Amino acid sequence: MIRLTLAQMRRSVARLAAAGIAIALGTGFVAATLVASDLIRTATTDSVAAPYAKADLVVNADGDQLRPQDLEAVASAAGVAAAAPLATSWEDVAANGKTINAQFTGTTSDARLEPQRVHDGAFPKAADEVAFPVKQAERLGVAVGDEVTVTPQSGAEGGSTPRAQRLRVVGTLDDPYGAWTDAGGAAVVTAPTLAGWQAAEVGSPAGVTYPDVLVALDPHTTTAQATATLSALDLPDGARVLTRDALARELAAQATGDDDVFTYVVLTFAAIALVVAALVIANTFQVLVAQRARTLALLRCVGASKAQLGRSVLFEATVLGFVGSVVGVAAGTALTQAVLSVLRTRTTTPLPHTIHVSVAAVLVPLVVGTLVTVVASLAPARAATRVAPLAALRPTDAPTLASPAGRVRGVLALLATVGGLGLLGIAVLAGTQGSPEIGLALGVLGGAVSFVGILVGSVFWMPRVVHATGTLLGKAGASSRLASANTLRNPRRTTATSTALLIGVTLVAMMATGAATARVSLASTLDEHYPVDAVVTSYGSGDAPGEMTTALQGRLDDVDGVRRVVPLSRTSASLSAGRESTGIELDGIDPAAARDVVRNPAAFAGLDDGVIAVDSLQDTVGTTTLEDGDTVTLRASDADGNPTGAAVRLRVHVVDLGEPTAYVTPAVFARIDPHAVPDTAWLAFDDQADAADTLAAVQDTVATEDSSIGVVGPAAQHASMEKVVDTILAIVLGLLAVAVVIALVGVANTLSLSVLERRRESATLRAIGLTRGQLRWMLAQEGMLIAGVGAVVGIVLGVFYGWAGAAAALGAFGPSPLVVPWATLGIVLVVALAAGLVASVLPGRSAARTPPVAALAVE
Amino acid sequence: MAPSDQTAPPTTAPPAADATGTVTKRSTAVRARALTKTYGRGEATVRALDAVDVDFEAGAFTAIMGPSGSGKSTLMHLLAGLDSATSGSAYLGGTEVTSLTDKELTLLRRERVGFVFQSFNLLPMFTAEQNITLPVELANGTVDRAWLEILVETLGLGQRLTHRPSELSGGQQQRVAIARALITKPEVVFADEPTGNLDSRSGAEVLSFLRRSVRELGRTIVMVTHDPSAAAYADRVVLLADGRVAGDIQDPTPEAALAGLDALRSLDDAAVVAR
Repeated sequence: MIRLTLAQMRRSVARLAAAGIAIALGTGFVAATLVASDLIRTATTDSVAAPYAKADLVVNADGDQLRPQDLEAVASAAGVAAAAPLATSWEDVAANGKTINAQFTGTTSDARLEPQRVHDGAFPKAADEVAFPVKQAERLGVAVGDEVTVTPQSGAEGGSTPRAQRLRVVGTLDDPYGAWTDAGGAAVVTAPTLAGWQAAEVGSPAGVTYPDVLVALDPHTTTAQATATLSALDLPDGARVLTRDALARELAAQATGDDDVFTYVVLTFAAIALVVAALVIANTFQVLVAQRARTLALLRCVGASKAQLGRSVLFEATVLGFVGSVVGVAAGTALTQAVLSVLRTRTTTPLPHTIHVSVAAVLVPLVVGTLVTVVASLAPARAATRVAPLAALRPTDAPTLASPAGRVRGVLALLATVGGLGLLGIAVLAGTQGSPEIGLALGVLGGAVSFVGILVGSVFWMPRVVHATGTLLGKAGASSRLASANTLRNPRRTTATSTALLIGVTLVAMMATGAATARVSLASTLDEHYPVDAVVTSYGSGDAPGEMTTALQGRLDDVDGVRRVVPLSRTSASLSAGRESTGIELDGIDPAAARDVVRNPAAFAGLDDGVIAVDSLQDTVGTTTLEDGDTVTLRASDADGNPTGAAVRLRVHVVDLGEPTAYVTPAVFARIDPHAVPDTAWLAFDDQADAADTLAAVQDTVATEDSSIGVVGPAAQHASMEKVVDTILAIVLGLLAVAVVIALVGVANTLSLSVLERRRESATLRAIGLTRGQLRWMLAQEGMLIAGVGAVVGIVLGVFYGWAGAAAALGAFGPSPLVVPWATLGIVLVVALAAGLVASVLPGRSAARTPPVAALAVE
Repeated sequence: MAPSDQTAPPTTAPPAADATGTVTKRSTAVRARALTKTYGRGEATVRALDAVDVDFEAGAFTAIMGPSGSGKSTLMHLLAGLDSATSGSAYLGGTEVTSLTDKELTLLRRERVGFVFQSFNLLPMFTAEQNITLPVELANGTVDRAWLEILVETLGLGQRLTHRPSELSGGQQQRVAIARALITKPEVVFADEPTGNLDSRSGAEVLSFLRRSVRELGRTIVMVTHDPSAAAYADRVVLLADGRVAGDIQDPTPEAALAGLDALRSLDDAAVVAR
């Protein structure tokens, strides 16, 4: 029996190939998703952990708390090979008449603690040596061997005039992991030099603090041992010892908000794709069994039992499923690797070189794919067992008008559809109420059940819809009338053909709509985390405080890609709630201007002269946490940090802008610090402009200023993340486009089978006067009619499911508007119609080429 | 119209002459000259037709009879333009069928030739009336309602026009097929074993309808059959054996037709013995 099965498989390779490709795509999708989600996690983790280089452990404190003595204690602890602080300092650098304000970091004694790599030259070793990132070196116009002048910032009032230092450039650096992208790069000087600058800034060496200390361990010390040793040291409260990876995961989770939401969404679509692949496979096997009815009947005549026939079909399905899944996993991982390689060249976000294929990413799709194929073939296998031996003896039956579908089927279909839609409704509710996991689970279930209900019930409404459409077109001549009448001959065949395309188109429309909706949702989420495209701060030169002059504002506004420049003033103030008070950073900004320049204008919606907008990162006053509507008192703070001056009573509005600051209108600000002038500007970039380029242009512009100016630009990060999101969505659509191709191949398959069955009829028509052209045109119209109706219905269903899916998965993040991707849907419809046309070409040619007499012979 | 042997005067006036071939007495409707059809190559060559020469009169009911493998169906296919000849030529009226392109042949079949098949070959999704008018529809023409009435009455289909083929008996389906063949008033109707799938009573009905079409409506019918009793309904029987014309019987009776067929068979036997 096995030999026979394999022989039959070989004969039907072409028909099986279509089903095989369907399962390959489904499993490829799952494999690619698993690999890609691993990739995203790794990339995000790498990106946020980049400054920690390859340290084994990190001693992390809340805010700047670790002191030089802590650093020494850590460095000399047992098992520690080297320790380096995550220390940075912003200084003015001048060369060739240009001055830029750049971030500096110190060298480390262990290469594992240094994230940057040498591009040219070497790391500095002497106190008068410096190495610059390649871009900064270009901006200054220096190369290895040139000299620059660094003027360290002096600390608080009363310090001595800082001495300018001449440093020799000994190397240029690459930042392969993007550790310092946000700051525009970090130049490197020796650690003692940096420590000296930091000391000058705070006034004394003892006042220097660090947020983290990186630790590299001796080869024989385990992280557990070292953690224990370091935890036992006398470190400030709030200091923790953790592995670099653990810290990276924490930071990554903070950066992306909620973990794995993206993975959930894509896996949902992958699961649905597999369900659809199962339907296509079931369809193909049904056609195969029908085609082989005579052979099966013959086998029964000759002595095969029902069970043997059934098992033969299942065996075939298992082989097909396994082979298809293997192909799918291979293709999926290869595609992900290819996309990764392309992505690496097109974005500044550092990405790994190769994908990491976990065991799960291989086994899960393999097992799932094979299982799905076998399950899909159960019904056809049962049909195979029901073939009567007598069928082998009957002459070929004339095609009959098939009997109408049973009522039981209709009732079940209706139940499934209504039930599934109900579940979907609950899923959307769950999603918007904030439990995306429940929302997704219910959404998948509801969506799948309702879709299956619609498909199962399609045999009732699909032929009617097709025929009605055909009747409308039937005015256009005899072949149209014939084509339209033909669609009613075998309602099940018409439905099955149309349904294959319906499945594919629904998926594409669903993905496109879901993606469009998700993009809008994610964009607004990202906007909340990166509210301002760039921040330019003027630090002043020498004793003169920094000032954001109107002239400078004008120059910034002139930069290509900068849409708006809004100045704000900064000062320290004191905030009291009840009896407690705390020092805060206070910004004064015009609310209307703020709304224009910030990416989520809602944050400044309520800001007026009676309101203080307090960022959630700064919302604790002593033991109280501020909430919207609370009343607080704002006063200026003097040199020692004590409140002085007039008190201003304000209402609190808590916002989420990512900076531990509070915001008031310029009028209120003037009451607190009447002498302050704006020293910072927020920049908004054009959406069309490339964020990284614009940022570089801004940095170039400020480099020519006399005073030292710092530029920080989260926009580049924002743009990179969006590009990654967009590319992944493109992958999803690409995978689906292939699934649609499969559905279209399925359409061609069934159309050619139908033509085969109608050979006698086509010959009759030819005999009584239908030209070849008319015959081909009749078949073409049939193809287009079936494909077109399938596509339109699929688009409607897909848009609905896509919106529901996005609402269930991402509803917690914000409103899910119905975003209809008209262009994509238009393309899908045109492709479907064209495919219906193309699907009829080969069968049409073979039908037209057959001389009428060949098919008229009676067997 | 002046057919040779009439058993009854024509009950209906023939339509005004609009197609050639139905009004000329004893003219030739269809001709074959040295018509040959071979299949295969070399050792496996099969000569289905071997240089056949035969004429078929207009306004007559001619049968082509022979045992299986005699080439009778092949001859009909070639005469009707359904298949291409290896050599020789066939003529329909004045047109050389064997030299036409496929498009021209199709138009020929649409307007000047009618077919009746053994397996009826009606389109299952159309009613009887839609099936009958199909050839006219294909030509995007208008149906001659008067002619349709005549056909329906002659063939006794009045009650059945709105039924689908699955609702008709075999005999009724074949009559619908005959009506379909006649709707365009073709020069000749080719019938390939029209009674093959019918029981004897329906078969006799169909054959008498065919004869009525010739007698009363002035049609020309060429019928292929292996059944002598069917051939007896014709005005003339052309006997075919091994791809060649082997005999000719005018005004056949059933016994004469049977004898003719037997003679063919013994011809075969003789040929076998001779080898």
